Amino acid sequence: MVIAALLVFAALLAAWIVAPPELGDVPERAAGEPEPLAQVA
Amino acid sequence: MPGAPAVDSGDTAWLLISAALVMLMTPGLAFFYGGLVRRKNVLSTIMHSLFILGLVSVGWVLWGYTLAFGPDTGLGLVGGLDWLGLEGVGIEPHDTYAPTTPHLAFMAFQMMFAIITPALITGAFAERKRFKAFVLFALAWSTFVYAPIAHWVWSPNGWLFGLGVLDFAGGTVVHLSSGVSALVAALIVGRRMGVVRETQPHDVTMTVLGTAMLWFGWFGFNAGSALGANGVAALALVTTNTAAATAAITWVTLSWLHRGTPSVLGAALGAVAGLVAITPAAGYVAPAASILIGAGVAGVCYAAAQLRLRSRVDDTLDVFAIHGVGGAFGAVATGVFASTAVNPAGRDGLLAGAPAQVALQLLATGAVALYAAAATAVILVVVNALVRIRVPSSAEEAGLDLAQHGEAAYQL
Repeated sequence: MVIAALLVFAALLAAWIVAPPELGDVPERAAGEPEPLAQVA
Repeated sequence: MPGAPAVDSGDTAWLLISAALVMLMTPGLAFFYGGLVRRKNVLSTIMHSLFILGLVSVGWVLWGYTLAFGPDTGLGLVGGLDWLGLEGVGIEPHDTYAPTTPHLAFMAFQMMFAIITPALITGAFAERKRFKAFVLFALAWSTFVYAPIAHWVWSPNGWLFGLGVLDFAGGTVVHLSSGVSALVAALIVGRRMGVVRETQPHDVTMTVLGTAMLWFGWFGFNAGSALGANGVAALALVTTNTAAATAAITWVTLSWLHRGTPSVLGAALGAVAGLVAITPAAGYVAPAASILIGAGVAGVCYAAAQLRLRSRVDDTLDVFAIHGVGGAFGAVATGVFASTAVNPAGRDGLLAGAPAQVALQLLATGAVALYAAAATAVILVVVNALVRIRVPSSAEEAGLDLAQHGEAAYQL
């Protein structure tokens, strides 16, 4: 059972590593694309 | 069975309640830090503490507890894997760690310490660290830094424990280790974009709320470390409150004289500094000593925070100035004020005729600081090689709430 629990955690860790980039990693928008998210200053 | 250790209901009730009190400190820290950052980064800052609550809970059950408190591997440096996944850790008492409570209750109490310690570091790199890098860092830090240091200081086979170092509730294990690591993290991650000296807190009321939760939870942190419903727990509760109170009013006084106003934020920072400094001493010193410790740490941490403002280090929320400096101050002060007249299970310090205890406390301070600094640097370099630690400048400008989490804290 401990091995199974470790595998579950390992799967989560792998998911964190391969998870998609955050919004901040998306390349800058080209001209004409929709407005970027409003800045919350 | 004659002679077998028995569970004491009073001790068990107090230890379980204390574990719950310490758990509340991590969301308290989230509010404390969340109020201090700019409003575009409040969710990301709160998320650091919230995610660690989940991340380290699971890691502690699976391998953290056995590395910290498991049977020693031989050199007093780290525990073995005997209790991996809490195998062998059950509802019966443990003759060393939990002679009158279920072993699981002790494990849960210690888990809450393991959770809040890496959460403290997050204040140093707030507003610019990539979430994915934070997750990997927190997991690695709790495994390779927190667990070994806890073993050194609190395991009966730990090398610092064996030398006679006193740390009642984590002055070195929790605060010094996280404070020094925060300084290293701030240096490696680098300054925030466009921040010259400091930024203004976006919500001081949130920070005061967090301070109140921390102060309340700290009664479990320190008085719970007596591991029983007894006189030492009462002593620790009194010294904890007294040191926090003294430090809060001292910090306010200093800021009043220095900057011309009795700062609300100063009261909050002072209280936390007092709580940090009394942590290693809480069960070993008299209440009068806790007033001296509270006053002293407020002065030292206030000076450290002022020095940080004049430096190039962008330790965003002054984790080093409060937890690093305050933790070191408390560790040494323990060696000065500890007395077996107050707690026969402790040791005498300088004022009780045993100056060597100060040297031991200094040794522990140096060893923990050096190891935490070096290990943190290695972890950050490795994590940066896997995933960049820092967000791009466009994300930093937009704020991490939107750029990292796709959410905004306020719809105003």
